[in-house]
Amino acid sequence: MIAALFYLQYQSFRNRLVSRFKRLRQPKYLFGAIVGGIYFYFYFFRYLFHQGYAGSGRHAAAVTIPPEYLVLAESLAALALFVIVLLAWIFPHERAALTFTEAEVAFLFPAPVTRRSLIHFKLIRSQLRILFSALLLTFFSRRFGGDVWIHALGWWLILSTLNLHFLGSSFARTLLLDHGISNRLRRLLVFALVISLAAFVWLWAKNTLPAMTSADRADFSSILKYAQQVLTAGPALYLLYPFHLLVRPFFAPDAAAFLSALAPALLLFLLHYIWVVGSDVAFEEASVEASQKLATRIAAVRAGNWQAAGKKQKARHAWFRLAPTGPLPAALLWKNLIGVGQVFSPRLWIVFISIIVVVLAVGLKNVRHDQNFSSLAAILVAVALGYSLLLGPQLLRLDFRHDLPRADILKTFPMRGWQIALGEILAPVTMMIAFQWLMLLIGSGLVLYLSGKQTVLFLAIAAGAAMLLPALDFLLLLIPNAAVLLFPSWIQAGKDSPRGIEATGQRLIFALGQMLALVLALVPAALAFAAVYFPLKLALGPVAPVPFASLAATVVVAVEAGFGVMLLGKLFERFDVTEEPAS
Amino acid sequence: MIQVEGLTKLYGEFTAVNDLSFSIQPGEVVGLVGPNGAGKTTTLRCLAGIIPPTRGTVRVGGHNIVRDAIAAKKQLAFFTDEPRLFDYLTVWQHLNFVARIYQVADYEKIGATLLEELELANKKESLPGELSRGMKQKLAIACGLLHSPKVIYFDEPLTGLDPLGIRRMKDSILKRARCGAAIIISSHLLHLVEEICSRLLILKNGRKIADGTLAEITRKFSEQPGDTSLEEIFFRATSESSTPLPPPVLPLESK
Repeated sequence: MIAALFYLQYQSFRNRLVSRFKRLRQPKYLFGAIVGGIYFYFYFFRYLFHQGYAGSGRHAAAVTIPPEYLVLAESLAALALFVIVLLAWIFPHERAALTFTEAEVAFLFPAPVTRRSLIHFKLIRSQLRILFSALLLTFFSRRFGGDVWIHALGWWLILSTLNLHFLGSSFARTLLLDHGISNRLRRLLVFALVISLAAFVWLWAKNTLPAMTSADRADFSSILKYAQQVLTAGPALYLLYPFHLLVRPFFAPDAAAFLSALAPALLLFLLHYIWVVGSDVAFEEASVEASQKLATRIAAVRAGNWQAAGKKQKARHAWFRLAPTGPLPAALLWKNLIGVGQVFSPRLWIVFISIIVVVLAVGLKNVRHDQNFSSLAAILVAVALGYSLLLGPQLLRLDFRHDLPRADILKTFPMRGWQIALGEILAPVTMMIAFQWLMLLIGSGLVLYLSGKQTVLFLAIAAGAAMLLPALDFLLLLIPNAAVLLFPSWIQAGKDSPRGIEATGQRLIFALGQMLALVLALVPAALAFAAVYFPLKLALGPVAPVPFASLAATVVVAVEAGFGVMLLGKLFERFDVTEEPAS
Repeated sequence: MIQVEGLTKLYGEFTAVNDLSFSIQPGEVVGLVGPNGAGKTTTLRCLAGIIPPTRGTVRVGGHNIVRDAIAAKKQLAFFTDEPRLFDYLTVWQHLNFVARIYQVADYEKIGATLLEELELANKKESLPGELSRGMKQKLAIACGLLHSPKVIYFDEPLTGLDPLGIRRMKDSILKRARCGAAIIISSHLLHLVEEICSRLLILKNGRKIADGTLAEITRKFSEQPGDTSLEEIFFRATSESSTPLPPPVLPLESK
């Protein structure tokens, strides 16, 4: 039986790999693979068989952990593992559920396959994920020096044993539930155990170790030495001993040390394996449910709907009343704002604003006429605005990027292309404008309150930004929306979105393309700003022309955005839904 | 009400629909049948203005679906086999949204009646994720009928419906036809087509191979007087001359 499961796993992997290679015949995947490959090479691979990275942008001597800190590093890693394992015993509340795909459930569960074989199948399958994770982590950790094989095998041992432990603990939780020990009681017991152990270690440290003196706190290395004392002696060492055994191969400085550390770690791995395979826990029912949830989540994520994937959706109130007659784009705005509301609800806005107001009221109670604070407020607002321009279009995707799988439905609406395009991007634009104006309002209020020397300049810039930002937001959102209509299969919006190095490459190409398009679009606006600002500066000084110049730039960007919406509409009208990535 | 002339749709070298012409009058219910890959869904998508035809013209209520798309689309409703709904809109919000799209001023009254008819009145605040497959289908139908379309396309309309839902759906289709709507139903369920369609359009490899009433098509393809089962006629019409008909399915005990 296990041979059949191996066959399934091997063939699935092989076929996936073959199809990945086959699709490289298409230029979009080939270019993506080339760019992704270059990225991975420069970011990870080049450190694999070379010396480590010194962090100065050049190759340098290996950055390995100094021998005096090796024990501490091992202890900290053991402590981290201990915490991870502890969390696995505290937080999860579900019954044991091995996650299978729906197809696996349909084929394997009714088949004459033993429970043990299913566990083996699950373990074999998880090895693919673990090997990949170990490889990525090796790429990363190798950048800081050490032997590549020791890193790779070390990571593999840690991840594989953790995987077995998670599985075993889920079985144990289920057995406890079957014996009438509720999740709450289990958590209480684990908490009690942890607190007892922590208290024991603390008492021991207090009675045995010399108290932390000011010399121990003098610098970072003194603190590290003291921490090493606590973690490597007495009960802490015994408590963390199994975790030490597991991480020791990873920290081995050479092959001999690795081999001597390998045997105990493998024994630990083997004990976990026996524990998991020997458990006789009914996991099938919970697994069926988990597989359905997984399928729903994958479908939601691949359809670009991360919100639906994360949690169960709740019905939301509309942000405004939609009359049955009126401008058509408002309908799409109304619809998408309800969708955005799944994450950014009005309540969230009220809480956000309240926190800012309270923090400012308390923090600035005794501060007036302070130029430093005034400058700081201006800088913080500028940073917030910068991030909103950078991240807003990426985070707020309730537009064509979300609705593309329903493009056939949108196309049946009696609406012109530009109306649909405008309606689709209005929701993220509205959200971005609301945030940006709020920041400008708070910043202006603060600057006025603090009355620094640059108050007038800040207010002039704020007024200009308040005009320019909405048009800029339109422009920023037009670019990814046009991209998704022009190259639907390049954008990861549909159910069959590509993954792997080529997908990373595609994303990089698009990020660069978007940047370039934005820069090109902003050149005329910058010229318009300069054409108004510099002549007026001669007559009015440096501050007063800012709003006028901003207005000129706004007009240019707005005209571009207007043309952009028309163009986006045309693109949507021409968009062939039979080429869309989703069903 | 629907006029199709020389409709052709190509995907690269592949011809999905080939020189299709027909017209449908108000009150007619036309069954669009054919084997898998015959071009039924592509035809419906072209008729609904979802995809542009490569050649030919489609007129809905006298309006060209490509050149005068808005006027044409105002008159039609297209029901896909899989209900396509917005995950985060409730049942009533769907109706509100569609009302604005089609500018239905009195949508609240019409919507309430439709939800009552479709047994969704107590689900007004539910999200699609909380509805069964059949209920989702009913919601899609309520949205489509809100603006009283004069042209309706159904792609496998009975998928996912329970027996009562099927009965109601058939009644609803016939009721709309009696009110003057021109209806096209694409389905593999030949008994449905036989029961409610006044005319049949059989496609194969993107081409029209038969167009007429059931009696006319029966006369054309039957070999003997008693040979009147639509299933038999369908097999005869769509099979290659050299391909033998599939054997009839026998009950287990007679095997």
